[in-house]
Amino acid sequence: MSLFTHTTRELIVKLDEFFDSIEIGTLIFKEGIKAYVTGDNEAFQNHLNKIDDIEGKADRLQRSIENEMIVHSILPQQRSDVIKLLDVLDEIVDTSKGSLNEFYLEIPRIPVSLAPDFISLSEISSNAAEELIPAARSFFREPNMVRDKLIKVYYFERETDKMAFNIKKKIFHDMPELTLAEKAHLRYIIHHIESISDRSQVAADMLASMAIRLML
Amino acid sequence: MLVLFISSGLFLGWSLGANDASNIFGSAVGSRMVSFTRAAIIASVFVILGAVLQGTGASDTLGKLGTVNAIGGSFTIALAAALTVYLMTKASLPVSSTQAIVGAIIGWNLFTGSKIDAHSLTQILLSWIICPVLGAAFAYLLYHLLKIWRKNTRTHLIKYEARIKLGLILACAFGAYSLGANNISNVMGVFVTSMNLQDASFTLFSLTGAQQLFLLGGIAIAAGILTYSKKVISTLGNNLLELSSEAAMVVVLSQSLVLFIFSSASLASLLARIGITMPLVPVSSTQVVVGSILGIGLYKGVRNINFKLLGGIASGWITTPVIAGIIGFFLLFFMKNLFGIDVGHAVNPVVYNQNNLNTEIFIKYSIIVLIVIAAAYLIYLALRENSKSKKLNESGTLR
Repeated sequence: MSLFTHTTRELIVKLDEFFDSIEIGTLIFKEGIKAYVTGDNEAFQNHLNKIDDIEGKADRLQRSIENEMIVHSILPQQRSDVIKLLDVLDEIVDTSKGSLNEFYLEIPRIPVSLAPDFISLSEISSNAAEELIPAARSFFREPNMVRDKLIKVYYFERETDKMAFNIKKKIFHDMPELTLAEKAHLRYIIHHIESISDRSQVAADMLASMAIRLML
Repeated sequence: MLVLFISSGLFLGWSLGANDASNIFGSAVGSRMVSFTRAAIIASVFVILGAVLQGTGASDTLGKLGTVNAIGGSFTIALAAALTVYLMTKASLPVSSTQAIVGAIIGWNLFTGSKIDAHSLTQILLSWIICPVLGAAFAYLLYHLLKIWRKNTRTHLIKYEARIKLGLILACAFGAYSLGANNISNVMGVFVTSMNLQDASFTLFSLTGAQQLFLLGGIAIAAGILTYSKKVISTLGNNLLELSSEAAMVVVLSQSLVLFIFSSASLASLLARIGITMPLVPVSSTQVVVGSILGIGLYKGVRNINFKLLGGIASGWITTPVIAGIIGFFLLFFMKNLFGIDVGHAVNPVVYNQNNLNTEIFIKYSIIVLIVIAAAYLIYLALRENSKSKKLNESGTLR
């Protein structure tokens, strides 16, 4: 029995660490974009290294949690849902890392007039992911609170969509000084930043249905 | 010869283990919280313990209903009950070994001309109606308390499920103990008077004659659990309702409580002190499980109660004992007249006088009415099955 309680406690700690990693990953992403847009290369490089570490840690934790859940037959009824949820959450940090890497590799030229918009877009998109983590945590402790916490995720996802639309409109309609290639490149970068909130929405939908099933 | 005579009881015990044990841990195994092997081993050990330590209470009431005083009679009664369970299961009709044995004992009473103990019969019949209701009430209350506790403690889901898992294992052990204590009377109760075994002393403990029989019956139930209950669980599955782990625990616990209440002599004497009379009677674990599941359904706000299921339970109250009684009566007739086996004699013969004549006529006509109802119900079921298979055939042809 002591082995059993030890495993349970260890698994709870690992889950919390996993959620921490996702949360920190989104914060690093936000800071990384800010550093790139403001031209602080050293800080950007620093954030790039950090997100690489945090993504690796999240992957290791995810695999370990999945293994322990299967080996010790923990949460037999919710296990497949929880594993899927962890996968979707891990994709958020993967996407964050991927986006920062796109910036590093492709070095998009962001006009100074668009710098605040890009910073805001990355902040709002990251906010959706940040608000998702408390909801995911409360699924395990207070499933009845999940729905309330997810409202903010949906709100930030909608705001991200609106903002991305406005930036794209500005790029294609109001900035004739940019070449078509530059415009297409910026659109591609915006799409990358946007995808964090989109993935958060997917995870939010999954969490909402999981919480309902758990409360039934 | 002795072994041959109790073989029918052992067969009944085996089928009880194979069928009814799934009520105890079927939902736990179905919810994937406990593995079949672990559940079956726990259930086997505790069913034997329950039978030996606490099997006497319900057995006494069955003894009062019919004091079967010949081993041939006991054998035939157990055989009639086992045959009823087998035939009705085969025909997919709701059946309970408890009701089958009661019906078979009444058949013996009618055959030998013994007086039916109306008080014991009333207690048993009332318990059949009360048990599912009590199971539903316990399940509703326990589920409600569990939900409140979960909400207030904000326990982590993983920790909560670990506790539920432990609770399920304990509930399975308690359920198996209660099943052994309550239902062993169905298996071996009819042999207690007719065999009248001597007490046996061992180094650390001693067993009365009845306990020796209960030990044998308990082992037969355990054999049924270990050899055949897996097949029953995988065939039936969670056909009533897909149960969550916590609901599974509540169902097992409420069922165990009901079985325990109706078999614990010490609890009965404790309740008697505060003026509550609790009869110790064998009850149907299947019907208590159905009641418990309905209780959870009521808590969850299920608007459409499955009346077909409820109808099935109610019909079982009539059809099972009537069929077992008829089979028992005819088997006793053949045993006595064809094989010349002593099936017992009336202990308390019915003496017809003006005072009890009306009661006897009433009982006779009631039995005839019950037989007619049971026959009509069987015909109805047969016709329904026939039309169902016709429809299936038609749809198959169309495809």
